[in-house]
Amino acid sequence: MASIAHGHEHPAAGHHAHPPKLQYHPGLPISNGKLFMWLFLSTEIMFFAALIGVYIVIRFGAAVWPATHEVHLSEPIGAFNTFVLICSSVSVVLALEAAKLNNAAGAKSWVAITLALGCVFLGVKGYEYRAKFAHGIYPWSPLSLVHEQPDVYYGSAVRARATELITRLKAEAGIAPTPANAAPAAAAPSGDAAPADAASNEDAATTIQQTQTTEASPADAVEVEADDEETRERLKHIHTLEGLQARSASTDRAELAALAAEIMPMPVSEEAGHVKGLNDKYPWLKMPVVIPGGNMWASTYFLLTGFHALHVLVGLIVFGIMLTMVLDSQRAGVIENVGLYWHFVDLVWIFLFPLLYLF
Amino acid sequence: MSHAHDDHAAHDHHAVHADHGGIAKYIYVFLALCFLTTMSFFTYSQYWPWPDPAVKRLFMTAVSCTKAMLVILFFMHVKYEANWKYVLTIPASIMSVFLCLALVPDIGARMNGLFGYQGKYSNERLQHVGDPADVKAMLTASEYAAEHGEHEAEESE
Repeated sequence: MASIAHGHEHPAAGHHAHPPKLQYHPGLPISNGKLFMWLFLSTEIMFFAALIGVYIVIRFGAAVWPATHEVHLSEPIGAFNTFVLICSSVSVVLALEAAKLNNAAGAKSWVAITLALGCVFLGVKGYEYRAKFAHGIYPWSPLSLVHEQPDVYYGSAVRARATELITRLKAEAGIAPTPANAAPAAAAPSGDAAPADAASNEDAATTIQQTQTTEASPADAVEVEADDEETRERLKHIHTLEGLQARSASTDRAELAALAAEIMPMPVSEEAGHVKGLNDKYPWLKMPVVIPGGNMWASTYFLLTGFHALHVLVGLIVFGIMLTMVLDSQRAGVIENVGLYWHFVDLVWIFLFPLLYLF
Repeated sequence: MSHAHDDHAAHDHHAVHADHGGIAKYIYVFLALCFLTTMSFFTYSQYWPWPDPAVKRLFMTAVSCTKAMLVILFFMHVKYEANWKYVLTIPASIMSVFLCLALVPDIGARMNGLFGYQGKYSNERLQHVGDPADVKAMLTASEYAAEHGEHEAEESE
């Protein structure tokens, strides 16, 4: 915006009026690049405020929300990630200071350290995601194994999975599959519980009984003997699965809760630590699990941390590009602007960490 | 004209930033951030005097806001910027607060009867959503499973 200086409205007699002096006033005392970065950050503030605000409202408005250990979140890992990001914020600030002093090599070193720390953050995040996936916690179906209640739908899902595994194991062990019109050998009303409790483990491991029924002929028992260790192991698993199959047919909520607790127990105390269920002992089992409130938790957790991780990745790409430049005092503005973005990413994590890990 | 504008802006920028030189304060801020992160865990320790979860969360929120202010003021150099920073930060802050408040009556208060509103999920949704009674049943079953597992481990030894 230009203004006209009015110092010459009444010139003295005999003197010619000087042309008006135009004085330009910049809109803001910052460079265009910095202004753009701040405007972009304001849109990012709105973006993350919306996500975090929705998480807060859903979390405190839900009927039930899983505790951190129920969904296998580790607070020390989250704290370590927080420390890593804080260190990376310091390193990018030191890169800026080095660039201002025209120390290009020093600035590049600090940018490289920032890049390395960002990679550490993403690596730890990947490790955390892997742990969630290993426990069947995904943000979408059908990969997600999480059920909200130990109800008949859960029992049906357990039964379906057990049947699938039994079929596969029998095929691998060379055992004929149970006919469609025959009752499974271990199928029993809920009151009889699992037959595995009565028989010894050794007997159960070496033999299984298949009952074949037809409309006319009486039941015939087929015994299968196992000679090698691998087949014995498979037979043991089949026996366990048939027990789960039987128990999942129950309509009693308490029994289904006990079944769910056996598959993936809830953490009962800090001292008990991580109690291993069947899904932990046998990673290939991938039985459906019950985590009340778990699906909404998974949706919000992966949404928040996923978008944050994407922003970290973009920052790392930019840092990588900066390493190809000469980071002297002329580039201090570039480092400052990228640093602003990186500090904002750190800022978001400062709020995400307590909300997700400590609340 | 744009070059003059940029030069003028750059001159002002450097004039403003000439006064706060030195990296010592960045180190102090870093140490403060580490200390505050540790303080977040203080609510979990045996020395935390207030058992109410609301007090714990309020403390953690205060710690987070303090850390955020340190990063914004010193690392992002907002402390040394001119008054335009208020134009940027105040509307965004107001928006974020009011966004949360706007969602509270409908979604936030749906299940816990705030403001006397006992709204709830639809019957169909209630059949599939988690229930506190199920949490209790699973905890009881998990305690049994944990004790039973220990007992079997002792017997096998």
